Amino acid sequence: MSTNSLTLAPAPRSEAAEVVRAEVREFLAAELAAGAFSTHVDTWLSGVDPAFSRKLGERGWLGMTWPKEYGGHERSAMERYAVTEELLAAGAPVAAHWIADRQSGPNLLRYGTEAQRREILPRIAAGECYFVIGMSEPDSGSDLASIRTRATRDGDGDWVVNGAKVWTSNAHLSHYAITLVRTSAADPANRHAGLSQLLVDLSLPGITVNPIRILDGGHHFNEVVFDDVVIPADMLLGEEGAGWHQVTAELAFERSGPERFLSTYPLVAEFARRVAETQEPAGLAALGRLSARLLALRQMSLRIAAALDRGELPDIPAALVKDVGTTFEADVIDEVRRAVDVHASLDAPDPLGRALAEAQLHAPGYTLRGGTNEILRGIVARGLGLR
Amino acid sequence: MSTSGTDLVVETVRDILTKHEPFVLSRERPWDEGLWSVLAEAGLTGVGLPEEAGGSGGELADAVAIVATLAAGAAAVPVAEQLLVAGPALLAADLDLPSPEQPLTIAVDGVVTAAASDDGDGPGRFTLTGTATDVAWAGVARHVAVLAHGGAGPVLALVDVAGLAATHTANLAGEPRGSLVFDGVAASGALLTDARVAELRARYALARAVQLSAALEQVLTWTVQYAGERHQFGRPLGKFQAIQMELAQMAGEVTAVAALVDAAVQALDRGESVTLAAAAAKVRAGAAVEVVAKLAHQVHGAIGFTQEHKLHHLTRRCWSWRDEAGTEVAWSRVLGAGLIADPDGLWPALTHVV
Repeated sequence: MSTNSLTLAPAPRSEAAEVVRAEVREFLAAELAAGAFSTHVDTWLSGVDPAFSRKLGERGWLGMTWPKEYGGHERSAMERYAVTEELLAAGAPVAAHWIADRQSGPNLLRYGTEAQRREILPRIAAGECYFVIGMSEPDSGSDLASIRTRATRDGDGDWVVNGAKVWTSNAHLSHYAITLVRTSAADPANRHAGLSQLLVDLSLPGITVNPIRILDGGHHFNEVVFDDVVIPADMLLGEEGAGWHQVTAELAFERSGPERFLSTYPLVAEFARRVAETQEPAGLAALGRLSARLLALRQMSLRIAAALDRGELPDIPAALVKDVGTTFEADVIDEVRRAVDVHASLDAPDPLGRALAEAQLHAPGYTLRGGTNEILRGIVARGLGLR
Repeated sequence: MSTSGTDLVVETVRDILTKHEPFVLSRERPWDEGLWSVLAEAGLTGVGLPEEAGGSGGELADAVAIVATLAAGAAAVPVAEQLLVAGPALLAADLDLPSPEQPLTIAVDGVVTAAASDDGDGPGRFTLTGTATDVAWAGVARHVAVLAHGGAGPVLALVDVAGLAATHTANLAGEPRGSLVFDGVAASGALLTDARVAELRARYALARAVQLSAALEQVLTWTVQYAGERHQFGRPLGKFQAIQMELAQMAGEVTAVAALVDAAVQALDRGESVTLAAAAAKVRAGAAVEVVAKLAHQVHGAIGFTQEHKLHHLTRRCWSWRDEAGTEVAWSRVLGAGLIADPDGLWPALTHVV
């Protein structure tokens, strides 16, 4: 059947995942009660709290699936799934470590040198080392192969990097950027050739980090400018010229997790509190509709976690989860507004109005980051055999 | 039965379907009697029902696979009602299962009262009065399991409907959906707990969700195929980005429905209470119909809007099935109310559903 490449086997039940889920819930309840954090929308990019990240590291909830010799915990993707979705549902401040734990660590495991793994992975798993995605550029958004940041060899064989990366979330407080650069001249016949990934220490001379404010005035975006930055030769990640392939694999990790449908979950939770007070039939129905969509997304994402545990890298189903999931994240706003009387304002006295405001001002990002939904649908179309 | 056993059942049903193309249902020909006979002879109308009760044995997964395959083939037979709803409900109530070779359906709507009989037939005998509405396959099914109001609580009664008048109303696909009038009809029955009633309604909704999931997947397959065959402006439709975006959206909906419906079926198989899981599956499947049927017709163009093309066999069914066995609005409210009633809070409630 034509839909085969999109279909994954149902996820088996994981008792281990339920055990760790209960532990995380208990931890989060205690943290909330102690006032260690307050719930917000879209915290996996905006909720930076290194102290909170370190607490997760102490409990073994970062680097969960990695080998123990690199500071990991050799647990299943299903267990990691349970931990991440509990953190997101609570609107906890997980942004500091999120990228490093989700994709940079796995990328280092695949392509890093032994020295890089030994030095960096344990620090990520401890919640102390943070990463940035260095892919997009001012003139290269969806068309990633058109990037112009260049790395050339100097006399010692080190790399000299010039160019700029944008939308680098939290670069101002991160330690490394895995940076996609052009290491040989663009070849119009093979646009994906000549790209490489470099592991860039953001404290190196020649790197400037300029803030870019998002719509609510918040700061996670940055522009990172490289001006003759010398990167040691051994900081090449993977193979020279294999950057496109490596980036594609990295994006598959990026696209399937629960952060692709739970960014606005705190708004759903506030909405449910309102519906519980009023018991209005229209509100109950809207909550039911949203919940049905969310439950389906959980099952889709769980199937991918189970596939990762089987050693697969299901890139096309991952693209599908992100398309359907991020569409849902934005639709939550519309459903809530249609069902209840509420004014969105960051200064609203009621938590529902505040959550709605946060969700609305962050909304344009949901269906853009990590590959626009149009790009994702193109990937799905390839899975359907249309390309 | 193992997965390979389920695959074998699916192959058998598919083979049978190749000789029974869907047709436009009418008052004169409201169902595919020939197909039913072949399925019954093969024992497929008793799968998932235990042999000692007169069924063919096999597991829930096999029955679900049969229902899904028949739904994808737009087969006009009451197999979903028999295998997934009425049959299991009768067995759960300790009532006799009629021969699976005769079509059995379920009636859960309308107002029917069941008065305990003192006609000397002993316990478990009731007299039914009232009208059951929106009965799937009314006028086609030989037996109906009726959910009625008894003096001591809900009653499930089994009625041989031969000779009972049925109104000839139909759903958007022409499938019979009539009313049955009970005018003091004697029937065997059993009292049901509220939990059993909830399970019965949930099973019915989940059965429709299984059918919707299979039909939507088939509609996607047909539409992708059509987009590859149909040429305009010198190339196949599927080469246009605008069409690719639509097909990808359809795929997203189909995949979401399948993931949730499969999970709800597994929860039922584990013996869990599935009211909220079935509600979610039915609501999600119904929501997907909005997108999938609309875009399928858009891609197919005018030919898909005619009875000359097969597409309508499934899109018309989808438009009806989403309303049946409880509408999306009704199940959405059940789901919303059930989730906020959980004392642990919304998020734990969501993670308990499936």
